[in-house]
Parts: sequence; structure tokens; C-alpha cells
Amino acid sequence: MNGAGRVLSSLAGLVYALILAPIAIVVALAFSADNFILFPPSGYSLRWFRALGAHGPLLSALWLSVQIASVVTVLSLVIGVPAALALAKGRFSGRDALTNFFLAPLLLPTLITGLALLLFFTPLRLTATLPGLVLGHMTVTVPFVIRMMTTAFSTLPDDIEAAAATLGAEPWRVVRRVTLPLVTPGLIACACLCFLLSFDETVISLFLSGPRAATLPVEMVRYVEGRTDPLVAALSVVLIVATLIVVIIVERLVGIARAVGK
Amino acid sequence: MSYLELSGLQKRYRDAVAVDDVSLSVEKGEAVALLGPSGCGKTTTLRMLAGLVDPDRGAIRLDGAEVTRLPAHKRNMGYVFQSYALFPHLSVARNVGFGLEERRVAKAEIARRVVEALAMVRLSGLDQRRPRELSGGQQQRVALARSLVIRPSVLLLDESLSNLDAKLRDTMRHEIRSIQRSLGITTLFVTHDQVEALTMCDRIAVMHRGRIAQIGSPEDIYERPATRFVAEFVGRANALPATRDAEGRVVLWGERLPVAAPAGGEFDLFVRPQRIRILPISEPVADGMARVTGKVLRSVFVGDHVEVLVEGAAGQIQVELQSGTALPQEGAEVALVWRARDTLPFPRETA
Amino acid sequence: MSDARLKWLLLPAGLFVLAVYAWPTLGLFRNAFNETGPTGAMVETWSLKTTAEVLADSFTFELTLNSLWLSLSATLLALALSYPVALFLFRTNSRFRGLLAVVAIMPMLISGVVRVFGWLAILGDRGLVNSLAQSFGLITAPMKLVFNWTGVTIGLAESIMPYMILALLAGFGQLDRTLEEASRSLGATPMRTFLRVTLPLSLPALALAAGLGFVLSMSAYITPKLLGGGRVFVLATEIFEQATTNTNWPVASVLAIYTLVLLLLLLAASNLAARGLKR
Repeated sequence: MNGAGRVLSSLAGLVYALILAPIAIVVALAFSADNFILFPPSGYSLRWFRALGAHGPLLSALWLSVQIASVVTVLSLVIGVPAALALAKGRFSGRDALTNFFLAPLLLPTLITGLALLLFFTPLRLTATLPGLVLGHMTVTVPFVIRMMTTAFSTLPDDIEAAAATLGAEPWRVVRRVTLPLVTPGLIACACLCFLLSFDETVISLFLSGPRAATLPVEMVRYVEGRTDPLVAALSVVLIVATLIVVIIVERLVGIARAVGK
Repeated sequence: MSYLELSGLQKRYRDAVAVDDVSLSVEKGEAVALLGPSGCGKTTTLRMLAGLVDPDRGAIRLDGAEVTRLPAHKRNMGYVFQSYALFPHLSVARNVGFGLEERRVAKAEIARRVVEALAMVRLSGLDQRRPRELSGGQQQRVALARSLVIRPSVLLLDESLSNLDAKLRDTMRHEIRSIQRSLGITTLFVTHDQVEALTMCDRIAVMHRGRIAQIGSPEDIYERPATRFVAEFVGRANALPATRDAEGRVVLWGERLPVAAPAGGEFDLFVRPQRIRILPISEPVADGMARVTGKVLRSVFVGDHVEVLVEGAAGQIQVELQSGTALPQEGAEVALVWRARDTLPFPRETA
Repeated sequence: MSDARLKWLLLPAGLFVLAVYAWPTLGLFRNAFNETGPTGAMVETWSLKTTAEVLADSFTFELTLNSLWLSLSATLLALALSYPVALFLFRTNSRFRGLLAVVAIMPMLISGVVRVFGWLAILGDRGLVNSLAQSFGLITAPMKLVFNWTGVTIGLAESIMPYMILALLAGFGQLDRTLEEASRSLGATPMRTFLRVTLPLSLPALALAAGLGFVLSMSAYITPKLLGGGRVFVLATEIFEQATTNTNWPVASVLAIYTLVLLLLLLAASNLAARGLKR
């Protein structure tokens, strides 16, 4: 038996069409000339992209999301990467238990985490603030960074670091001159995914957003709940293109299946 | 006191003992091999020397100073890894210069010494290549140059030739030996390959189950193995179950041999196949020679020698003859003769 | 690198997880013991009154059935669709295999809101499906495909598929191609080979993927909210409503813990099933 066979390939092809359908439709719809969601559109134009450019709330939400995602990415790497290094290279007792402790937040649905954060942040007046949203997103991104970078560090051959040590490099010099340069592709991929995770995070943001501070997905949810016109499709195209860029970068650097899988 | 002293080194991993009481003295400029099968503790011993593994017990002294707890980066030991462990993100020149950069040597000096080191391992002109653009043999030379350029107190080689093909291994063996001799650098080799140990070193320490079974010159180890394990592991040997007669003399295949029997218990005689000669059954033998008779089972031509298998009253003996000598007929009755002092009796192992 | 000092690198991340994850989660459990006073204000106490009320409420029972039923149908639909894709990716020799795998996984990286919007455009009254059906004269009035259970099931199935494909691919590790070849060489048709060799061997992977899909469906909020158009009530939407619109934290907390317990039971069941099927 060679390859997948005709029956299986056709079945898979059908499912692929289904997977891609919503994304393809959104892209087509973004260029619609109609006033409402009609498919196929009666005509094509760029009017919804122009409308998007003039839509204040969505643009300021987009800007807020970019700010939050940037801060979240930097902070998550700053505290996640050292932890991953320790978990991957350290040989202290209780390491496995600690690894489980750090990855635990990935197991809990964001619905529960979001609720817990809402209850915690409200008396602290952190809801609907940039610090609150950043901290909220980090409950997802920090464990993600730790998981991805622990794998990246553990797959480095120990001998290369040992070699640097025998050549006279102090421990922190080994990290700087050998370990970090060698995981750079993984680090960049991790940063890209981290940004995307924060940028797309919806449920925790819905719990923590107020009228003053709403991230882009939150603003989009509100918009879709209120009306259905192709404006959101135009915005979606922007997001899809951004996602594709991240996917291509990550795929080139480390392979997407390895990065998002376990 | 010797230049390098290991005394009572021990290392346990959870339930297993990797190294159990290893003591060894190495003189300055000497090349010593740690020879043994995989899992005998030789690599762990080497890693303890380099500071990559902390010993549970024992001490390491280098040039009179205790270095047992000194971290790897302060030991100044050149370590050539089995995997070479070259830095894939750095050029050949940066790889070789790495240790000098860490020692804050002046740039011009680094450049000069890197060129020198690359010339010594005959890699001049490849300094801007990346490790992955080099062949296995070239990578090996870079690894060697990188460890030598720091002028290490001791050079440690961990199975350094085992990833090369047979021909290249031969060349590298001679090159490393001549570099080692000309620099007069104290060297420890870890290897499971006896040819490597026998040809590259002044002395060999045969390791078995975390201990040193015997230490001595290559000739000592080969000719006068101290234990049954050493006799079996280094070179090839016939292990022949023998008995004592009423007068306490050694009997093999019904013939008395002029060999001293070991005290008590069952024992085997070890005889190297190339020490045995095949003679016509009628030929008389001189004093001090051991002689048994048997029937030739088969002869196999192996290129530089011929292996002859002879079956006797209680087992078989393998004989190695130089090719070119007359081959005995299969089925012929022959006498096997060897010098009594080439016979090594060892007690039977009770497994 | 000395191992003892490495431990300190865990400190910032450890403090973060303790302060912003573990402590608030404990707070959630604490809130479940509070009560809601007659004015709607929260009363701090240690009682099981809220728990008892929530568990006794027939609406909770209805929500549970809704959640379980929705998750079951979405999971089965997603499983049926993911299995051929995963098997195809596992088997294919195509040089586009890498690309095809990326395309299958990519939806999980694209914002859920975007994909929900796509489904609105496909399944809406004037969407792709209805306009196609009408132009072929199959129907006269548009079919109701969104803002009801149908739409939510489809959207949810699509959103969990990438996770299930990954889980299936990971589980196929033990599916040895030579076993299928052996079956074929012994005279079995491709269909018989699939039924007698491939399917039985992939049952543990299917059980694990189903467990994962079920858990993800149970805790999904965006899809039921947007594609349900306010007509689909499940545990997830109720938790959100209670927490934000009603600001009834004790009830929200009790419902959250209740959901969590259900999820744990379901996960345990799917792991047990996977182990039993592996034998």
C-alpha cells in the first residue's frame, strides 16, 4: 500500500474544503459592495476597508490589542524563558512536580480562569485596565512559553554546553554564547505565537474588559452581536493575513505542529 | 607524587554504581587509555576529571593541587567529545578560538594561535566554514584543535574516533598520537576499541564494572592479563576447561601439560590462537611445550591470516596461522603445540 | 551550569503563577461558599446554601443536558470529519504533506470570532447554503441554520477539529503501516483491512481525541454565544451571564466548579476508555 489511497484522499479533500470554507468566505465577503451579509455578494468593492479605516472604536481596540500583546509577549518571555531553562537543564529534586505546577494553567478552560480573574481583579480595581488585561493574558502565555521553551532547551545536546564549560566559559557565559543562540529560532517562533495568543484571546478579555478598555476580539464580539455587515469581514482579512505571517514564520523556524502540539 | 592523581573515585546513579573506587596515577606527558566495554564507568571517570560530573567520593589532584570540586570552566582540561560537540552557530575559527576568547586573550594573539592550531590538525583554509559543512573527520580535527589551543593541563578524549570509518580512524590514530607526543601533553583516552588503546597509549587501564581490573603497558595487558576478564576482553583467547590429576598437575584433553595449576576450584586455560602451532602428530616436542592432539574441523581464509578449528577430546581450539603457511587437511589428525608459559590459568567464573 | 543556582530562575514565573493563577483560582472556590443577599449584594460567609440552590434548580439540570448534548453532537461530528484527515496526513506520501498539516491545524490560530463570522456568512438566512439551495429551487423560504443548535453544533465542531486532528496524529504513532500491508498480503480487501486492522488499532487515539473534543466543547463560550444568538443556553454561557450581567458571583463560582467537576469526570472516563481499548 502506497500513500493514502483514492477514497481517503477524496474524503480528506472534502473535509479540507469544510475547514477552509469559513475563512475563504470571510475573505470574499470583505470585498463585498453590499450593505449586509449576502453570499455571493452582488458586487465587489473596497468600501468596507475604507469604512474600517474610519471606525474609531475598532481601530482603538486594535491599537489596545497590539499594545497588550506586545507587553504580554515581552513579559512572558522574560519570566518564562528562565523558568524553562531551569526546568530543562536543572537536576534538582521535585523538577517534575514543578513542571506540572507551571503547566497547570493550560489545563483549566479560560472560562474558569477568566471568572477567577474577574473575582480577583474587581476589588483591586484592575478590571478594564491595561495591567489587568496583560496579567490576565499572561495566565495563558506564560505556561505556553514555559512548555514550548522547555522542549526547545531539552532537545539541545548537553555535550555542546559541556564543551563550552570545558573551554573555560562560566555558566552564564555558556547560556549567553551557546544555549541562547542555539534556541533563537525557537525563541522567535515562541514570541510570535505568544503575541498571537494574546492578540486573539477572547474569553478572558470578555471577563476583564469594560467600556473603557476593550480589546479587538471583544469589540468584534460586541459588533457582531449588534449588527451583521461586512465590516467585520474586512477586519478579519487583516487578522487572517497577520495570522498567516505568524504561521509561516513559525513553520519555517520550528514547525507549527510541534509548536502548538504537546 | 604524580602529575595527575585519581584516588578512590566513586559515582552512583540512583541504584547503580557507575564508578566504584577508581585510583590512577598519570605522569606528565603520559598517554593513558581507559579501556573497557560500554557501561564499565570509563566515560563517567573521564567526565569527573573534566568537572562535568561530581564524584560522590574520592579526590582528583592535578600538579599537586586538589581540583575535585572545581567547576569545569576553571579546570583547563581539553575535552574532545564523542559527538565532537562543535558549536553549530560559529565558524571553525570561532569554534577553535572559543576557549581563548573566554580567557580574554588579545584578538591578534587569538588569530595567530587559531591559525597555528588549524595548521597542526591540517585544516588550514577551512577557518570560515561552519561545522555542518565539514566531513566527520574534519569535524573531529576541529574538536581536537579547539581542545589543544587552550594549552590544557590534560587532554581528555572520549571515544573520539568511534564515529569515523575504519580507514580514517587509522589515520587519525597516528596523527593524534604524534601530536600528543610532540606536544608532550598528558592525555587520557576513553575507548572500547583495544587496537586504539594498544597503539595510542603508554599505559592502559582496563576497566570492568566500575573498577580498574588491570593497569599496565600494552604489552603487559596483552601478554600478562591479570584477570580472566582482561584476558577475554583484550585480544582473543581460547578458554579451555582443564582438570588436575592426582599429583596436582594440569590435564587438558587427556594430556598432561607442564603448567602450574592455580590453587583450588575449577579453572580454564587461556591460550591465544596465534601462539599455537600445528604440527604432524608424529613430531616430538621440546621441554616446556604444551601439546594436545585433535582433528582439523575446518580452515577459513581471512586474508592476512587463516583460522583453523581443531576438535579434540573435550572441546575445540581455534588456531590462527599466518597466510602463506601450508594449510592442514580437513579431517587430519594433528598435534597442537604452544609454549607452556603462553598458557594462562584462570579460575572458572561462577555465574 | 550548576544545578542549585538554576532553581532561582523559576522564582519570577513561580510567583506569577501563584499570585495571578493559583490564588485567584482559590478565590473562586472561596466565592462558592458565599451567598447572595435579597438585594443582590454578595454576603461573605461559609455556607453551602448557594451550592444547594444551584444544584436543586431545574435550570441547572437543563443547562447540563444542553451542554452534554451539544458537546456530544459536536464531538461526534468533529470526530467523523477529523478521522479521515488525520489518517490521510498519517498515510500520504505527498510532498505537500507539511503544508496540508499546517492548513489542517491553522484554524486553531485564527481568531474564533473571525471563524464564527465566516459561519454566519455561510449558514445565515442570506448566506451561501441558503442562496445555493434557493437558486436550485430546493427550498422557498430560507432554512434556519444559525442562532439555533444546528449552527452552534457546526461551528463548535469546526473549532475543535484542529485539536482533534493533532490528538489523532499523536495517537496514530502505534499504527504500524506494515500491519496493514500484512493484512492486504493475506488477501483482505482495503475495506476489510480498514475494518479489521486500522480502525481497531486507532480506537485508543479516537477515545483520547473524543475526550479532548468533549472537554473543549463543554467549556467553549464564544461559539455558543455568537452562533446561538441568545437562544442557546449552556453552562458556559450561564456562567458568563451570572458573572457579568447579573454580577452574581457565588452562583457563577458554583456553576464554574460544577462544570469543572463534570470535565474532570469526562476526562477520566476518556482516559480509562483509551487505556481499556489499548490493552
